[in-house]
Amino acid sequence: MVDFEVWAEKYRPKSLKEVINQGHVVGRLQAFVKDKNVPHCLFAGPAGTGKTTCALAMANDLYGKDWRANVLETNASDERGIDVVRHKIKDFSRMKAIGNVPYKLVILDEADALTRDAQQALRRTMENFTRTARFVLVCNYSSRIIDPIQSRAAIFRFKPLSEGDQKKYIERIVKGEKLKITVDGIKAILTLAEGDLRRVSNLLQASAAMKKNITEDIVYEAASRAKPKDVEEMLKMVLNGNFKDARKKLQDLLLTQGLAAEDIIKEIHRQIYNLEIPEEDKIKLVDKTGEYDFRISEGGSELIQLEALIAQFLLFSKKR
Amino acid sequence: MSWTEKYAPKRVEEVVGQKKAVEQFLTWYKSWQPRKRAALFHGPAGTGKTSLIEVLGKEKNLEVVEMNASDFRTAQQIREVLGQAMKQKSLFMKRKIFMIDEIDGLASEDRGGTGEIIKIIKESHYPIVLTANNPWNTKLRSLRQYCQLIQFGKVYYWEIIKRLQLICEKEGVKCEKEVLSQLAKRSEGDLRSAINDLETLARAKKQIKLEDLKVLGIRRKETSIFDVLKMIFKTKTAIAAKLSIQNVDKDPQEIFWWIEQNIINEYEKPEEIANAFDMLSRADLFIQRTKIRQNWKYEKYMIDLMTAGVALAKKEMYRKFTRYQYPDKIKFLGMTKVERKEDKEKLLELSKNLHCSTKKIREDFLPFLKIVSKNF
Repeated sequence: MVDFEVWAEKYRPKSLKEVINQGHVVGRLQAFVKDKNVPHCLFAGPAGTGKTTCALAMANDLYGKDWRANVLETNASDERGIDVVRHKIKDFSRMKAIGNVPYKLVILDEADALTRDAQQALRRTMENFTRTARFVLVCNYSSRIIDPIQSRAAIFRFKPLSEGDQKKYIERIVKGEKLKITVDGIKAILTLAEGDLRRVSNLLQASAAMKKNITEDIVYEAASRAKPKDVEEMLKMVLNGNFKDARKKLQDLLLTQGLAAEDIIKEIHRQIYNLEIPEEDKIKLVDKTGEYDFRISEGGSELIQLEALIAQFLLFSKKR
Repeated sequence: MSWTEKYAPKRVEEVVGQKKAVEQFLTWYKSWQPRKRAALFHGPAGTGKTSLIEVLGKEKNLEVVEMNASDFRTAQQIREVLGQAMKQKSLFMKRKIFMIDEIDGLASEDRGGTGEIIKIIKESHYPIVLTANNPWNTKLRSLRQYCQLIQFGKVYYWEIIKRLQLICEKEGVKCEKEVLSQLAKRSEGDLRSAINDLETLARAKKQIKLEDLKVLGIRRKETSIFDVLKMIFKTKTAIAAKLSIQNVDKDPQEIFWWIEQNIINEYEKPEEIANAFDMLSRADLFIQRTKIRQNWKYEKYMIDLMTAGVALAKKEMYRKFTRYQYPDKIKFLGMTKVERKEDKEKLLELSKNLHCSTKKIREDFLPFLKIVSKNF
């Protein structure tokens, strides 16, 4: 269904030597590959700084062409249960590797989404199968990984990319896609992307789709079009006293678009500060939001709890 | 032999007033293969659901194995009774068809019940037909996906009259036209009850006049969900609201969504809406507690909060006629399951290609990719 290439993927370095930044990390990883001796690793750092890319590139450098047979890539955010660790990962880890590297590689992305129980199970798997499998855990915050795992792994901290490095990456794409971009256009991308290369390439690709000659205005236009507005609109509706449409919108977000309640509530929380209501009301709404957020984690149904939360916004609507 | 049995259809074509349902059913039956979906008949009582299966059995020489879901108390029993019957070869080497009546009557304390039936559908070597009065019952939510729904409508007034006329002729009963018309009317599309009424009258005498109709008692009709909603939304008395749901044949959890849907149709003041939804939110927590602790004692709190709690959320009764609506949530779950599944599959494919979670795809990629291509 993807009828075009996604640039974030097209321009993802395939080998460690193509990685622009993170010199301190890359050098050590290359040494592991050279000795064919990779320890368990923990990659931590902000989004879009090359953690997954380095893990995949290392796999590629280590195994060469047939890397896929020796690498298990799973995502803890989609498969966060303990069952994934117990079955999928364990089954993969216990089998011997193919080729001249004696172990396989398990890349566990977004590992901070794993529950503590799952992490405990993982720790045992890491210990028991060290001879046949090495683990690369990728996460934003290493503090969310339990200590026993941290102590078993070599920890790599990925830093936000410098402006110079981001520019190099932009130039690589601009050249590859034969684009034209103004200096202000590049500046706008740097400002909006906040050091996240995934955002850089997505912004560029969206801007380029709108106009081949990319200017500052085009970049901002693309960014504002891509900004999710549903939650903001929903809150505006309810603050205008229109709960009926706000409820419809919520159902659409949750049931049709399939957003997670957790993300909707996070966005509501963020939006409260931009609302045109008295400052003290904002605090009251934050308190309410926390209350319903808690009810969801108590097991409440996502739809009804969010609806109830939105209904509370009525108490602060302009009509009153 | 009662008249309803005596005049039950002898051939499939004789099933009264359900042309579309019969067609759908025959198509399903002809294309049925082991482990395919079951058929789920739904519609009011006395519209020919059971008759259709029985007559098909006769016509095609099938052994019809009939059961009533309310006979099963536990998932274990379902497995024992049904599982056994499905494995057994028919005594006379006949083919079989299974019929589980009133599937919405599965003991509600038995949560594993529908799961067990799904399992049986998946394993069965024989076609299975389920019947339900209300297929949208929340209890049947997951089961619905393994079934083809076939709807039986109320039997038309004039079709009932025609059928009654035919019976009168065969039984030598003389009957005023107006009597038949009245019988058909009061049956409200329930052919079986109309035939029963006719039989009751005809047993007394062979000539029926309009005044004889007085003999017939009024069938106790259950309260409709609309009456329940009216009670909850109009009363200011906690106990009245709480008792309102007693005479309606619906699962409290389904009634919950009926109330949820209609708060905004009844209440107008912001405080009332906010308050009513907060009550539902609290009721909802008790639903979860019931489930998690497997303890039904918490259900009463859920019921009180969603009925009395919502009733007392208003300042005073609205003196207006409110048109109450069918819950979006229930409609929604029935309709777009397939669509939503496709959506999920798309996301998973992208997630594989772009090496990140579906959540990241949705948040970081889709907003931009939508600008690049209309296919997203």
